[in-house]
Amino acid sequence: MILPGIGATGQQKLKSSSVLVVGAGGLGCAVLPYLAAAGIGKIGIIDGDKIEESNLHRQVLYSSEQLGFYKVKEAANSIIKNNPGVEILVFEEFLTAKNAPEIFPEFDLIIDATDNLFIRYVINDTCVACGKPFIYGSIHQFQGQVSVFNYEAGPTYRDVFPEEDKYAPNCAEAGVLGTTVGLIGMLQANEAMKVILGIGEVLSGKLLIYNLLSNEQQVFEFGKVVQKKKPHISNSFEMISPEEALLGESVLLDVRELEEKPVLALSNCIQIPLSVLESRLDEISKEAKINVFCQSGTRAISAAKILQKANFQQVKAVRGGASDVAQLIENEVKSVEKQD
Amino acid sequence: MITVNYFGNIAEAAQSDSEILDQKSLDLGELLDLLDSKYDIRKFQFQVAVNRKIVSKQQTLSISEDDEVALLPPFAGG
Repeated sequence: MILPGIGATGQQKLKSSSVLVVGAGGLGCAVLPYLAAAGIGKIGIIDGDKIEESNLHRQVLYSSEQLGFYKVKEAANSIIKNNPGVEILVFEEFLTAKNAPEIFPEFDLIIDATDNLFIRYVINDTCVACGKPFIYGSIHQFQGQVSVFNYEAGPTYRDVFPEEDKYAPNCAEAGVLGTTVGLIGMLQANEAMKVILGIGEVLSGKLLIYNLLSNEQQVFEFGKVVQKKKPHISNSFEMISPEEALLGESVLLDVRELEEKPVLALSNCIQIPLSVLESRLDEISKEAKINVFCQSGTRAISAAKILQKANFQQVKAVRGGASDVAQLIENEVKSVEKQD
Repeated sequence: MITVNYFGNIAEAAQSDSEILDQKSLDLGELLDLLDSKYDIRKFQFQVAVNRKIVSKQQTLSISEDDEVALLPPFAGG
């Protein structure tokens, strides 16, 4: 680190800093090795996902021999080889409104490397509550957005995108070039270094949009907006995995349309499509433990919000979707057959 | 001539990254109505920037010739 503005003092700043990376997918795989190599003292990685073959083209820390393994562990193993001096904390779980306030205070800086709009509000609101800056990065096809929120009490994500409930795109898993997430993740790592070292101009109050097809960059400025209501973590329901959804005595609420496949024939499963949910709420008991699922997880969140507004007490939304649940049931049936 | 730049899923809906409208000047609200009638943009979550500064969609603001307007949705991929 012989660069001007960094030197031994800068290296010490990096060493004594701690960064939490939320999501070990495409963006996380780009951010993590650079943080470790730069000599960040403590790195946290949180993600409940496992490695799938379809991830490999953009999640370059993983290999085809690691399919089915937890991403966080493999990511940690990979970056520790580069810099054995770094302390790495792994959390084999998805970030939720419940665990975020427990984990965030341990770190100086949060990097949002998720592919989920809903969880971004949880990250934002928790960062505001804990007084941590967070570095946002996200992509849509060949475009990427980067910004630094809540930096030195600067504007937050809600100042740019306040409307949590409106229709928003689903995670565009298909059709993402590895280089797009790589470049945007690299810009996030770069902003993290600038924040830690106190150099350059941090993207606070600025939204950078990078178009990788045209190589055009545009920076949009924004300020703090007086919020009509106090920012709050409105999504207080928990997100659970399909495995957890099948445990215990809960009602599985399928909010897909009637013609969607696979059909799940379970005694504790009821199907009320999201489109008609509000008019059929009386079919569900307000006291029941309800695990809502759909095809990919997006409608489950919308449905859980509707239920919560209608005073249902124990609502959880299932990450992933019907095919994951179906797969689990199939495996269960197979293992029971084997035991017989 | 007002330039409107589209991003993310709104660019997909408009099937273009950018468009030049043959308008001299109009209110922001009128412009959004016009774009909504063309591309149904109000179903998306987005912010509006005028000359690279994000403004409130409810603001009474006159867009004049040579202004550059951008419609910015949040991205979700990663």
